[in-house]
Amino acid sequence: MVKTQLLVVGGGPAGLCGAIEASRRGVETLIVDEGVELGGQLVKQTHKFFGHEGFYASVRGFEIAKRLKDQLNEHVKIMLQTTVTGIYEDVVVLYDRQNDVPLEVQADYILLATGASERFIQFENNHLPGVYGAGAVQTLMNQFMVLPGRRFLMVGSGNIGLIVSYQLLQAGAEVAAIVEIADRIGGYDVHLRKIKRFGIPVLLRHTIKKALGQEKVSGAIVVQVDENFQPIEGTEKEFAVDAICIATGLVPSVELAAMANVKIEYVPELGGFVPYRDQNMRTNVENIFIAGDLAGIEEATTAMIEGRIAGLTIAQSITKANLSREIESLQRELIEFRSGPFSEKVRRGLAKFFPQRVVEYSREPQVDSGPVGKLRPIIECYENIPCNPCQTSCPTGAIVVGGNINSLPKIDYEKCTGCGICVSKCPGLAIFMVQENVEPGFDLVIVPYEMLPVPEEGERVIALDRDGKQVCEAQVIRIVRFPHKTNLVHLKVPAGYATRVRNFRVKKQENVFVCKCEEVTLEDIEKAIDLGFTDYEELRRYLRIGMGMCGGRTCRSLVLSILSRKLGKSPEELLKGHFRPPVMPTKFESILRGESNED
Amino acid sequence: MKTEYRIIIVGAGIVGCSIAYHLAKFGESDVLVLEKNYISSGSTGRCAGGIRQQWSSPHNVLLAMRSVKLFERMREETGFDIEYRQGGYLVLSYDEQEAAQFEENVKMQKNLGLNVELLTPNQVKQRFEYVNVEKVLLATFCPTDGHANPHLANFAYAFAARKLGVTILTHTEVLAIEPTGSKFKVHTSRGRFEAKIVVNAAGAYAGQVGSMVNVNLPLESYRHQILVTEPIRNFFDPMLISFSGNFYIRQTKHGHFIMGQGDKDERPGLNYNVTFKFEKDLAKKMCWLLPFLRTLRVVRHWSGHYNMSPDAQPIIGESPELANFYYAVGFSGHGFMLAPAVGEALAEKVLFGETKHVSIAELNVDRFERSTVRETNVV
Repeated sequence: MVKTQLLVVGGGPAGLCGAIEASRRGVETLIVDEGVELGGQLVKQTHKFFGHEGFYASVRGFEIAKRLKDQLNEHVKIMLQTTVTGIYEDVVVLYDRQNDVPLEVQADYILLATGASERFIQFENNHLPGVYGAGAVQTLMNQFMVLPGRRFLMVGSGNIGLIVSYQLLQAGAEVAAIVEIADRIGGYDVHLRKIKRFGIPVLLRHTIKKALGQEKVSGAIVVQVDENFQPIEGTEKEFAVDAICIATGLVPSVELAAMANVKIEYVPELGGFVPYRDQNMRTNVENIFIAGDLAGIEEATTAMIEGRIAGLTIAQSITKANLSREIESLQRELIEFRSGPFSEKVRRGLAKFFPQRVVEYSREPQVDSGPVGKLRPIIECYENIPCNPCQTSCPTGAIVVGGNINSLPKIDYEKCTGCGICVSKCPGLAIFMVQENVEPGFDLVIVPYEMLPVPEEGERVIALDRDGKQVCEAQVIRIVRFPHKTNLVHLKVPAGYATRVRNFRVKKQENVFVCKCEEVTLEDIEKAIDLGFTDYEELRRYLRIGMGMCGGRTCRSLVLSILSRKLGKSPEELLKGHFRPPVMPTKFESILRGESNED
Repeated sequence: MKTEYRIIIVGAGIVGCSIAYHLAKFGESDVLVLEKNYISSGSTGRCAGGIRQQWSSPHNVLLAMRSVKLFERMREETGFDIEYRQGGYLVLSYDEQEAAQFEENVKMQKNLGLNVELLTPNQVKQRFEYVNVEKVLLATFCPTDGHANPHLANFAYAFAARKLGVTILTHTEVLAIEPTGSKFKVHTSRGRFEAKIVVNAAGAYAGQVGSMVNVNLPLESYRHQILVTEPIRNFFDPMLISFSGNFYIRQTKHGHFIMGQGDKDERPGLNYNVTFKFEKDLAKKMCWLLPFLRTLRVVRHWSGHYNMSPDAQPIIGESPELANFYYAVGFSGHGFMLAPAVGEALAEKVLFGETKHVSIAELNVDRFERSTVRETNVV
């Protein structure tokens, strides 16, 4: 039997923050987590978080997990790969999976931070291997470095669907399309713009009808739906994909709470069945607290704040210290975070437990796009989301989000020095730098870039617009690399394109092989001819064309036609080159065998 | 088209291109190189690419040592990766008289500053376990010897020369050369060119080019055959060679084995055909020497020419009979490896009247009027 003052179930952002606050005040804490490392969903999040600096805005999720772990002190014990299998009347039972043994725990307080599980949906053949939940894809891809497919269909356009689509692109996969059953995108506009810039189509009012494939997914059929979300016959579209990623929402994991006699209520706005709790995250059971997605599907920043409130309240109960000032301050943070339009649903849900307040924010957008010809940022952030690193990172105070974090950023171009720090800091990658006429006939656009390969300075790339459409060629003239991997790529574009270019595509090395034996490409040959090689035999000797096993049978005429085209000479004029035995490669031992037969 | 140049070089093999490159490097780019086929079409493009400093003649040792210094800098100088690899030359002797001569040679080579050693058959086996050392009496090894891709080295000099302003015309055959006292009129398949100075670097065709101006060069061209196998993993560092055993073999950067031997019965003359007898003889010899070769396939077999001089040493210099007519010919199978030093030396001789790095004074044609010692380290 293990005894602890506080048992934290789940070591994600909410549980970790609860443990941090409680242990900091001397509460003996045991964190139990099913995973192989602490951090919960944070360890799979490679994008930079929104919010403000106090809650790790502009820091990538897995980095936040590290920072939280670093704050745990000597009062904290951790058990990983351990599942709480039940909260019984007498004890809490942990099942240690590594040692295959149950462990009994008595805790004075329990913080349940069990998070959520993925909401699955019904469609034909949804059992086929290749159908994944978005969380599973993230776990495989970002935690265990396994890419579970090459070409994905993403179902769901909430933040998870959008973020995972972007991460798939970063990992080198293709996203054939994102389908969304509703008539509008579920996630943040800045997340949507990030993937639209790569030309990923988003189909609204569409859903998946069927997975194709015998033993694994080889395609998907999607269909348009009517206002009642019913499929419209004849609108089916087929996609050739080898993986289908389901990102249709999360369901709070309420099992343990329910076992502990916590009142479970049905609040669709919070994700379905959720435990009752008050503003201090305390449930109807005096010593049981909840935080994070279990308390209502939201996001990591609010989970962290809730965890801290729970940890402080528990510490207050145990130590009898007055922590109300800290708790109230965090509650005000929550109110501010939830004042935006995206939290409207959550507020409605929470209103069933306690009254909700909002603080006013500004909806006024930036109208001025600054003085033409000056190197300056263009902020394409048009949605009221709780986020302000542009303001806090600006060294000259030129960007102001205002008193409320949900307000839209505004920039005073007179104060702006064009340093570009905001571009690298913006978690939504929504800020670009432009300068018209940086040299005669050319504009400069600086885009934040998180893909591989990072192009070389001087490289010519294909410039893309906000919808990922090819608009012109651009030249990479500078790359500013940052340790946080949001690199700033400076693109020289034709004059007039500064307002359109927002992304680029590295020109793919499409290998057109002419000599397959020696792997010589059309590009190699054309380059050599441009360098001054004028004969088939010179090319052969320089590039090894025809020096392979086939002796030039395949490539000789191809090379002659390339030469003919490039030099404007007829193939007859070009030296045809030598023909050398043996026509078929012959083993030495075969030659020797012939020799001994003659003896 | 410009028709007057200060210097015309006949032949765009590596010797002609090296001379052109070094002339331009020393400031003289008013140079035209005339090539009847294409760059590397003659002996350069047909050779095995060995780069050896172990010679019986001191002139050859010094020229080769200078060449190695220049090969080492070639990538940096020309921007071309010529696949240069200093894996050493392992020379095997199967003949008592030759073995005794090797001991003398090594003394002479060491005196000239070459790092070279004598090896017993056992020492050979320890270092190169894949070699069958049966019947081997003695070996010598020089670790700074090596090999390179002759095509790429030829192109390296040609393109570097072009970059410095030299003109190279391919598919332009020299038909006649007319000395007019102050200059030469060079008649070609693409019209007439004129130059103050003509350099004969015509390789297998050097004798014919000499006879165009009645300069008699005692040269004969002999066919040599060579073949290459399919590639395998690289493991074979040295060039392996024997004069008494009559063979050479190396592995290229791409993993192919390239090998050949001489033929005592070969008649002088230009002949680009190949014989199956060569394949059979070489298969037998090389599979005995290197049993792992048995399963390798021969992919290509061709021939080229050794432009032989009477003492198997090159003939380099200005004609004593015809002023401003220079030549770098008669390399006797070793033009590729000597080309950097010879190109440099001849360019110096033409421009400055004397060489600055290595002497070629003893290599002019008039040596045959005196007594000369034949180079014996020839396959």
